[in-house]
Amino acid sequence: MKQIWVIARRELASTFDSPIAYIAATVFLVATGLMFFFGIDGGQDFFEARQATLRPLFDSAPWVLAVILPAVTMRLVAEEKKTGTLELLVTLPVSDIKIIIGKLLGSMGFLVVALVLTMVFPAVVMSVGSPDVGAIIGGYIGLFLIGTTFLALGLMTSTWTHNQIVAFILGLLLCVFFWTATDALIKLAFDRPPVALRLLTFKTQFAAFAKGVVDIRNVVYFLTVTAVAVAASTYSLKSRNWR
Amino acid sequence: MANAVIQIRDLVKEYDTVTALTGVSFDVKQGEILGLLGPNGAGKSTTMKILTSFISATSGAVTVDGLDLFANPIETRARIGYLPESTALYPDMVVWDYLVYCGEMRGFSREECHDRIRKLAGRVGLIEKLKEPIHTLSKGYKQRVGLAQALLHNPKIVILDEPTSGLDPNQIVEIRQLIKELGKDHTVILSTHILPEVRQTCDRIVIIHKGAKVADGSIEQLEGNLNDTHELVVGIAWDKDDRGEPLRQELAQIASVRKVSHSHGAALPIKHQVFEVDAKKDVRSEIAKWAADGGHAIIELRRRTLDLETIFQRITSEA
Repeated sequence: MKQIWVIARRELASTFDSPIAYIAATVFLVATGLMFFFGIDGGQDFFEARQATLRPLFDSAPWVLAVILPAVTMRLVAEEKKTGTLELLVTLPVSDIKIIIGKLLGSMGFLVVALVLTMVFPAVVMSVGSPDVGAIIGGYIGLFLIGTTFLALGLMTSTWTHNQIVAFILGLLLCVFFWTATDALIKLAFDRPPVALRLLTFKTQFAAFAKGVVDIRNVVYFLTVTAVAVAASTYSLKSRNWR
Repeated sequence: MANAVIQIRDLVKEYDTVTALTGVSFDVKQGEILGLLGPNGAGKSTTMKILTSFISATSGAVTVDGLDLFANPIETRARIGYLPESTALYPDMVVWDYLVYCGEMRGFSREECHDRIRKLAGRVGLIEKLKEPIHTLSKGYKQRVGLAQALLHNPKIVILDEPTSGLDPNQIVEIRQLIKELGKDHTVILSTHILPEVRQTCDRIVIIHKGAKVADGSIEQLEGNLNDTHELVVGIAWDKDDRGEPLRQELAQIASVRKVSHSHGAALPIKHQVFEVDAKKDVRSEIAKWAADGGHAIIELRRRTLDLETIFQRITSEA
């Protein structure tokens, strides 16, 4: 267990040692701010809506997370492969799955920091009205879960290559695909999409969180997808053995 | 082999289209410094990568300190300190923090790590660099940081892949000295293709060529095995300027001598001529008798020894 924290701590420090973390955090804050206050993704303008709610933030933030989080995870394994540090890391007395979990936890540190930065939005909302605090907490739990899932998908693509740009593009495609394309494809394929299929898409699973509802089934869903991505990343790291 | 801390049996590694190891077997004794030699692409690094559990083998068995490597990879890694060829370190980290990170990854507390780093820093010559970021270090110091992380847990076995590659001559001497010292407390496997390094540091050599072990023994044993050609170097005092042709002809008459060729003439300390004698057997006593009978003064009479480069060349070209 200690090794996981040691890796996580190093990854977090390394993330904030790189300008990418600051650029990603700034992009996240600016983009979600624009979407929240001006509804530029087609949502409702905060000032026109005249409602003390963070719904616009929770509707727009997953989009931005799907774009910026693969930029944070792209280096996690790809860079180690390229520079050769992976050889030393995997020959330490630590299992591959601990390495992957440690790296995921380290990148989750960035997610937490990014989400904490958006606390400025609830502060604004609270200063002008009385929002439902429970809904805000539920929304943030949802953002944390979907963000973790995006991080796990980005980490997985980082294990596939030694090229960070390739890892980023693959991670971006995968996150955007799961966030929106699955939903669009299902709607395109079916006039009345089966409930079981709709439940498989990130958007459907996140919808309840955006409304402030924390349903254990949605929590399990995101945790399951994260676990699958962690398992796939571990498998990919292990694959050096039989190549 | 009694006292073997590493036992390798029939190790095979096949990549998609290439067989890197075709069934290598050897043992490494406790406290031995073993040089793993071979031309580029021979299979040295593959062997080391398998020993350190970086990659697995296609077949074969490896025992490290009594443990099956493939069944207990984590436990065996804990017994090994490894310096990979690339010595890739995290450039963004300070040396001290990096070594603490490595120590914590090996299960030590921060305090234990600090103690170990302080003790080790003097041994590997890192004291004045401990607070510096790794990216500012020269290649030699990076190599020392790599060595420090490999020794931090005082492992039973130290595996060094090309430890002096890219270093300047002074750094090479220091690192070789350090490797020799390591041999007092650790079992060391050293991969290199710098042959003088092997002569200076290793107790034993295993030569791998085209994925197979082609030689195994001490330098003296390998020299002895190959020295069956009975080539002699003979220097005879001779003050004439005819390149000692009469001497060459007389030497050629000695029984069992196949060929005598003139090597060179020299004036110091005594004017003499040097010949290379190729014989079917060792004819040193016959030459001594011929010289005594003929009243010739022998300036030099020795069996021609093969240097390590020649041994290496012969073994890897024969295989």
